[in-house]
Amino acid sequence: MLDLPARISDSLLLLLHSQRVLAHLVIDASQNLVQAGGHLEHYGLDGLVPGGPACEQLPFVEGLLPLTETPFLIRSMEMPSGRVADVHFFADDSTVWILLLDVTAEYEEARLVQQKAYDMTLLSQREARLIEQLESANQELTRAHRELAASREALLLTHDRLRQELRDAERYVLAMLPAPLSEPFVVDWRFVPSTELGGDSFGYHWIDAEHFALYLIDVCGHGVGAALLSVAVADTLRSGALPRTDFRNPGEVLAALNQAYQMESHGELFCTVWYGVYQRATGCLRYASAGHPPALLVSGPPEAGGDARPLQASGPCVGISPAALYRDAQCILRSPARLFVFSDGTYEIARPDGSMLEFSAFTEILARPIRDGQSELDRLLDFARDAHGPGALEDDFTIIKMGL
Amino acid sequence: MLQKKICLLGAFGVGKTSLVRRFVDTIFSDAYLTTVGVKIDKKLVTVGTEQMALILWDIAGEDEVSAVRVSYLRGAAGYLLVVDGTRPETLDTAVSIQSRIGAEIGGVPFVVLLNKADLQEDWAIPMERIQVLEAAGWVFRRTSAKTGFGVEETFQELAARLAR
Repeated sequence: MLDLPARISDSLLLLLHSQRVLAHLVIDASQNLVQAGGHLEHYGLDGLVPGGPACEQLPFVEGLLPLTETPFLIRSMEMPSGRVADVHFFADDSTVWILLLDVTAEYEEARLVQQKAYDMTLLSQREARLIEQLESANQELTRAHRELAASREALLLTHDRLRQELRDAERYVLAMLPAPLSEPFVVDWRFVPSTELGGDSFGYHWIDAEHFALYLIDVCGHGVGAALLSVAVADTLRSGALPRTDFRNPGEVLAALNQAYQMESHGELFCTVWYGVYQRATGCLRYASAGHPPALLVSGPPEAGGDARPLQASGPCVGISPAALYRDAQCILRSPARLFVFSDGTYEIARPDGSMLEFSAFTEILARPIRDGQSELDRLLDFARDAHGPGALEDDFTIIKMGL
Repeated sequence: MLQKKICLLGAFGVGKTSLVRRFVDTIFSDAYLTTVGVKIDKKLVTVGTEQMALILWDIAGEDEVSAVRVSYLRGAAGYLLVVDGTRPETLDTAVSIQSRIGAEIGGVPFVVLLNKADLQEDWAIPMERIQVLEAAGWVFRRTSAKTGFGVEETFQELAARLAR
């Protein structure tokens, strides 16, 4: 203890008493409250009644008695009045003294500082968690980006491989097409698929020494499926692979073809077919159509031009109805004359403004006089491309010319 | 009447005061007000046919510069270790406090409250850590002082354990 004169000690005690609003409680060895004094009302303890068990009136002493450590201090305890006190315990042999010293002002100051510090800490912890989450999300994104790049690479490889396979298929389809003829009459063609693999195919060949078959197939749609069916139908006609069928009889050929290529068993695809047979000795052309545009006959020498006459024939598309019937039509081709067989892609051309090319313009181009060795097929193709404008044509452009 | 001292301990800002307010006064405030020192409340509960007075010591949270005063736990019949489920570091604090308390007051019953269960989308404590501590004998309960979820039940559960 400080060795102070009594007057100074007394002054200090008075100072403490005035500043700290002292209150005191005394508990005996039986843990009964035996005395309570000082500014009890300041702490909301003015209703205490000495005599009963201390812990019933003073919950904070529950469990603390008997005191194992003296002096013992509970700092900043909020009292029933809302004031805050430091609670000092002092024990001797038979009693426990409890002194309450008001520290509300210090408590408020400490609380404000602590509140600020904790708010800042909580904010920085939250910020750290957010940064961690962002970094994790960033890593996830980077990984996803890498995977995407790898997928893109794989897709490009697959795309390149498929493209190569399509080119191979296109070369195969083109190789299947017959070469132009110059004897005993001229047969020429132009074939421009709208995609790498189109739905058009055609062919011509001698059935026997007298009969020459000419045919054009247009499968609905484009791409691999349409091209496969188109090539298959052309190959069937080329190889004469229709049982009990007279290939000199166009109606019979289309009927047999229709039986063989019903859409239910061919990927829901159907096609239009024009099939004609020219008899050399008589000049007779027998032909039939399965939903195909009519062929055009232009009579007269090419240099003079002439009228384009459509060779009408009717019949449903191949593959739609197994009961379909096809009638032959016929006409005599007298030299000089040119027969044009074509798919609808040669004249159903959309202009950039959305309007469609007129069929009459198409026939007029074919009937126009030919000079200086010019080909009406090239002229027609140029005309179609001019009308269409930049970019590939929407449909396959296929036309065969037979010139007598 | 049976009277039992129960202390609430844990890191700062985990919701100890809010849990007491929810349990004693059935109220909750979103505003965070830090606790300095100690606040003592009394709540009567019924265990079986008997009434029991719970003396709740809401002790200021532990932070990096001030540790929980273990001497305040003297005479406690049980305690609640409170953890903020959205702040994994508060589980570390709970583990640290538990190791110190164990040495001071021995095997007193306790329950660990995973508080702020209402913030499920921000939950950040790995299940594996909880399973490891459960295997070591820790009893976890999910609570939300905000919604009241699990609060009354957990205090009642601890009171029932103290009455045995």
